Amino acid sequence: MAHSSATAQGVFPVSITVEFTGGLELLFGNERKHKVILPAQLEDGSRPNISYLLKYLVNNLMKDQRTDMFIMEDNVRPGILVLINDADWELEGEETYELQQGDNIVFVSTLHGG
Amino acid sequence: MPAKELNQPCTECKDAESELSVRQKQLCRHCFKRFIMHKVHMHINTVYKFRKENNGARHQLLLPLSFGVSSSVLLEMLNVDYQRRLDNELPMGYDLHILVVEPSTMTVSASCDKNYEVLQKNNPMRTVNRIPFHSVFEHVPEMEEIMREYAGAQFVDDASKSNEERLAAFRASISTATSQTDVDTILLTRLVVEFAKKSGCKSVLWGDSDSRLAAKALAGVAKGRGASLTWQVSDGMSPWGLKFQYPLRDLYKAELLEYAHFTPELFEIIIPDKPASDNVLTKNLSIDELMMRYVENQGAKYPGVMANVARTANKLDPSDTKNAPSCSLCGGLLGNVKGNVGVTVAGQAEDCQSSQFCYGCMRSRPEVLR
Amino acid sequence: MAPTVCFNCKEARAVIIRPKNRHKLCRACFIQIFETEVHETIIGTKLFFRGERVAIGASGGKDSTVLAAVLKTLNERYDYGLNLCLLSIDEGIRGYRDDSLETVKRNAVQYEMPLEIVGYGELYGWTMDQVVAQVGKKGNCTYCGVFRRQALDRGAARLGIKHVVTGHNADDVAETVMMNLLRGDLPRLSRGTSIVTDSDASDIKRSKPLKYAYEKEIVLYAHHRQLDYFSTECIYSPEAFRGSARTLIKDLEKIRPSSILDIVKSGEDMAALVPVEVRGSGKSKHAGAEDESAGGCGSQNGRSSGGEMAAMEKQLTENDAAESRETEIKLPVATSKKSKPAKPAKQIKGQTMGHCERCGYISSQRICKACTLLDGLNRNRPKTAIEVGMEDEEGSSTLMRQMERAQLGAT
Repeated sequence: MAHSSATAQGVFPVSITVEFTGGLELLFGNERKHKVILPAQLEDGSRPNISYLLKYLVNNLMKDQRTDMFIMEDNVRPGILVLINDADWELEGEETYELQQGDNIVFVSTLHGG
Repeated sequence: MPAKELNQPCTECKDAESELSVRQKQLCRHCFKRFIMHKVHMHINTVYKFRKENNGARHQLLLPLSFGVSSSVLLEMLNVDYQRRLDNELPMGYDLHILVVEPSTMTVSASCDKNYEVLQKNNPMRTVNRIPFHSVFEHVPEMEEIMREYAGAQFVDDASKSNEERLAAFRASISTATSQTDVDTILLTRLVVEFAKKSGCKSVLWGDSDSRLAAKALAGVAKGRGASLTWQVSDGMSPWGLKFQYPLRDLYKAELLEYAHFTPELFEIIIPDKPASDNVLTKNLSIDELMMRYVENQGAKYPGVMANVARTANKLDPSDTKNAPSCSLCGGLLGNVKGNVGVTVAGQAEDCQSSQFCYGCMRSRPEVLR
Repeated sequence: MAPTVCFNCKEARAVIIRPKNRHKLCRACFIQIFETEVHETIIGTKLFFRGERVAIGASGGKDSTVLAAVLKTLNERYDYGLNLCLLSIDEGIRGYRDDSLETVKRNAVQYEMPLEIVGYGELYGWTMDQVVAQVGKKGNCTYCGVFRRQALDRGAARLGIKHVVTGHNADDVAETVMMNLLRGDLPRLSRGTSIVTDSDASDIKRSKPLKYAYEKEIVLYAHHRQLDYFSTECIYSPEAFRGSARTLIKDLEKIRPSSILDIVKSGEDMAALVPVEVRGSGKSKHAGAEDESAGGCGSQNGRSSGGEMAAMEKQLTENDAAESRETEIKLPVATSKKSKPAKPAKQIKGQTMGHCERCGYISSQRICKACTLLDGLNRNRPKTAIEVGMEDEEGSSTLMRQMERAQLGAT
């Protein structure tokens, strides 16, 4: 994490890519790829993590009213996979993962049919 | 027929004010109790058959009592039955042994000394015993060996410690809520079975309500234990040669609560359930808790559908599981039921292949991989 | 966090955790192992024979797309000698099937497989859009499900193919198990767990090679191989997200990731414990094709709606009331000597299969469900005709029928 020391001090905002697939894009204006810029540091001094990102997405990006199709119990709805730079988020600490500059976050629904 | 001036007469006797609504009927307290008794009677009656088959010898039954609502209500109903037999000079047919596995040795909870005293006082005609959970090592001597095998190399059993500490260490080595509950249930069953055998019992009467059985069926299936439903949910022969019976299988938990509510004899015996905490995240629940929650939630709207789950499980035919090799921990079947050509067993991690433990137990094993 | 190394090759960065054993694998090893396991399923169950012509029921969705990709790969790698083709159903839902059929057409090119599209319009004289115009949005899933079930068989027959494979995965099977346990339908539970469902009455064999594959792994396989698939909710079933069995299964997966296969294992064992008289004669030897909802409307697959549960509740309450009316009269005060020991009711009638008098398709009734529904449509009075001949049946099987009626699409 050496390369991110500048961001760790809260100098640059964190710029990431968020993708919705497997039918989830329908909840986000039918748009698959989104550029998202998050503050480098939150009010409480912590860095934005996936939990924060979820709230951010619901408040800013989600077009559909049915938030429970995406979020349940303040977390990703069971049946939706989260990939952090193509790796299962379970390998990265799930919702506590702190976002890094240039990260690619993919949400894939397994719930939709085809 | 000129009746008393009643606001809402009981649908059954038409002679008293109805007090509660049960399965589409408005019943008075008396008729409600009769209804409950009837639902149980159909199941406890099987014990009388035994006497004929065994040249008049009395059937020895064990009732494990948790001080929860269900098992306490079951005991109370057996006592009502007992009294009626005395009053009518009917043959008794069976002896009932009551076993309390001290709840405070299983979970962090207050001692049940008071309740136990009342229990003894109210049941002079019964054999009443109380044992701690960790006495599983005394009653099931091979359990030490099984425990070590099951827990794997990472768990070190310290024989110099007390049974209580050893059991606590073993239970702590199991990582998830689901596996802990699963293994606890198995150990408890083994303990009860062994105690029953030593007391000369041929059957165990479990106090599971219909709702509980439905949750057990669903959870059992979810834990890969579908083949064991024939004795864990159905009335049937357990792997240890004791019959398991569930006389409350036609009654909903809510009905048992009502019954307890109308029965002052039980007030000092029952330890009320801890209110289910709704704020536990789903992923932190055990599978058993999830299913209990599911059955309660759905049961509020669809009690009949939930009741039907246990009935459906009861239709399974256990004959094909007889004489098959069994799991040294839970007694369940090793491998597949005869006729099941599925490959889930072979598809398990390699270390389970020649295991003495069944599929379900392997799933609850302390994790080696992580 | 330092990257985790692949459990298998011990070299590359692990990107997935397998639900069934928590192994952490890199992309390449995961793809390899996923394919090998499907191969082992195919070999272990002797699913195919050399030279066999096999139609893949293709909807353009994730499951059937992965199935097509894997079968093509395995057919070449292990030289199965299979003659594969894609078979798609066009329900005639404008704006829904249009896109997914485009996907299937691309798949046909990508996998170099011939494609056959069979339309409801040509098979039944009714497209789903027309059905919906007639019956409304409520309850149209019934029609779609019944029609689709036959459409795959009829499409295969048209091609002279005797084996249709579908993309049903372990989650689907687990759903079927849970759902039929909730419904109290053991015959269906039994059939639903079987990898092959063929029937004496029809010469089309159905199978599900992905039966042991987790939906999660199917999605990840598609992702990591960048497969081209289409996903949407059926526009006619916006409420399909809810549903008891499916929600339950996703919750279970969250608690214990392996539990989906654990349910499959339970289901297989229970299927073997279903008494023969309940199951019908012979195991999964009949009615197979009737039970499967094949590919296509995945969003509706296996979901039990509130309406269905309510209907079942009503029926059960009536049964219960009838039972207690009968018994309680005899039992004012229980006297021990006379009362008989309770015996669990073990009898339910198995179904016997014959052919539909109208179209010749296998059916447990004189007229198959599709024809019955068509009758209703054609007579402008949908849904009423199906009640014929149900009154005299015993409770449990009436109930079953009723459930079928309420939820034909969900298996």
